[in-house]
Amino acid sequence: MSTQYSILFKQEHAHDDAIWTAAWGKSEADGTETIVTGSLDDMVKVWKWSDEKLELQWTLEGHQLGVVSVDISHNGAIAASSSLDAHIRVWDLESGKQIKSMDAGPVDAWSVAFSPDSKYIATGSHLGKVNIFGVESGKKEYSLDTRGKFILSIAYSPDGKYLASGAIDGIINIFDIATGKLLHTLEGHAMPIRSLTFSPDSQLLVTASDDGYIKIYDVQHANLAGTLSGHGSWVLNVAFSPDDTHFVSSSSDKSVKVWDASSRACINTFFDHQDQVWSVKYNSTGSKIISAGDDRAIHIYDCPM
Amino acid sequence: MASFGWKRKVGEKVSKSVVQQFEAEAEKAEGPSVDDEEEEVNWLHAIKRRREILLEDCAAKSKRLKDEGAQLAEQGRHWEAVKKWDEAIQLTPDNPVLYEMKSQVLTILQELFPAVKAAELAVKFRPLWWEGWQTLGRAQLNLGEVDLAVRSFQVAIHLCPSEHSLWQEDLAWACRLRKQRLATKEKIRQEEETQKQILNAPELEQDYDFESDEVLAACEAVAKRQTRYEELKRTTVIIDTEGNIKNVVTGEGGSEDTATPSEEQFVKARGL
Repeated sequence: MSTQYSILFKQEHAHDDAIWTAAWGKSEADGTETIVTGSLDDMVKVWKWSDEKLELQWTLEGHQLGVVSVDISHNGAIAASSSLDAHIRVWDLESGKQIKSMDAGPVDAWSVAFSPDSKYIATGSHLGKVNIFGVESGKKEYSLDTRGKFILSIAYSPDGKYLASGAIDGIINIFDIATGKLLHTLEGHAMPIRSLTFSPDSQLLVTASDDGYIKIYDVQHANLAGTLSGHGSWVLNVAFSPDDTHFVSSSSDKSVKVWDASSRACINTFFDHQDQVWSVKYNSTGSKIISAGDDRAIHIYDCPM
Repeated sequence: MASFGWKRKVGEKVSKSVVQQFEAEAEKAEGPSVDDEEEEVNWLHAIKRRREILLEDCAAKSKRLKDEGAQLAEQGRHWEAVKKWDEAIQLTPDNPVLYEMKSQVLTILQELFPAVKAAELAVKFRPLWWEGWQTLGRAQLNLGEVDLAVRSFQVAIHLCPSEHSLWQEDLAWACRLRKQRLATKEKIRQEEETQKQILNAPELEQDYDFESDEVLAACEAVAKRQTRYEELKRTTVIIDTEGNIKNVVTGEGGSEDTATPSEEQFVKARGL
């Protein structure tokens, strides 16, 4: 256990082009830690994190265009990826085989997110609809309509009650999953919302926008609880720590920042990337952070516990 | 005895417009300085202030030149527009809008490589500007760099996925060209393979005792290949509107693909 923030590992040239997305999962079966990355080079790569280093396990071919988003199911067995070719592909992480390929139709797959029970995959669309695909069926099961603009970001609350979406015009929508009803529409930002994340207790929602700000909302009352500035450019990704007290953000200003959720202060800044940092995630315990971006590198950081 | 010295033409690397600007500034500054010769002058401060004024003037003048260039471009006076923007670039060398507009007009003028160069500078100075990437992709496509164009359009879409023209015109068109090129390459490979086998028939390689039926079989195989080769030579790779690849037998073998995106959509004045 470390006592301060530090960079632990760098995987240079992890892909042949910019890395747009990354996810960190843990297998329920054998406890192994898996990292999945997606890139503009059309590839999805599966890495094993063990002995404080990354080992390439699979290079998954199939997408015809750049991979925009990846997510790992909560039991760590399967991964989903979406690409500019409008296909969502589901992969078995153990064997590296493609299980399903779903044609979402033109422009109808952007970010993908597994539901907490891992039975569904949610994705945003250009018409402002959140489409929910069944993992088993490989088909669109139903959709939630925001009546808004292109949805860039999606997040399920860990308790399975809510689904939040962030649109290109800065509007945030929160749905009640059980009833499918739109609970709140928040005029969160004036610019695109590239990422949003719930706290592990599902009480807070954190949003990241091209306007350079991070906002924190109280989910139940839909109140704005805080606006954070610090990044010098677009905030591209946010992720909450499993410890419920920190979250991390990445930006096109090439930095990765760790924030304290209660004091709303930035407690550490990593300036290790050479270019825009598109993706940032915590591991399952909150002891590590992964970041990846346009410089094709994957970085792993140590967090004090 | 000849003496050695570094030779350099006066003002070789200095742009005329910048010199003129500088001289005009110098004259202006000299005027009042004669009057207050007696007074104490804070030279450090004065120099700093003059530089600020100069920078401000550069920006204002560059803006004027940019607008003049845009007007000229709209009237179809493309070369004159490029000249105006080049002058503006001398004054504000890191303004991405100037490069992006220049790239569009250079594309119209069929100056394909300079157009790519200009657009590359635009995205270098403003990497989050999707329109710069779109212009770069279009310039690359004109140069025949289909793969690079597909990449640039993807970067543009990733920055602004709600822009329909990027999906429907740029990326779809570039992907279609890429598909067609791959199919054509595959056909050429097949053609070469068949030709090679006509010249060195594998049937005649192992056995040379010329039993009549063996020779007959080999000749038959060669003849079959010959017809296949002729057929391949006459087919053309065509991609229909749904993006399916078809091999069509044509007399001349000319490409029938004519659907190009309309030219006027390529020109769009930006950041005016």
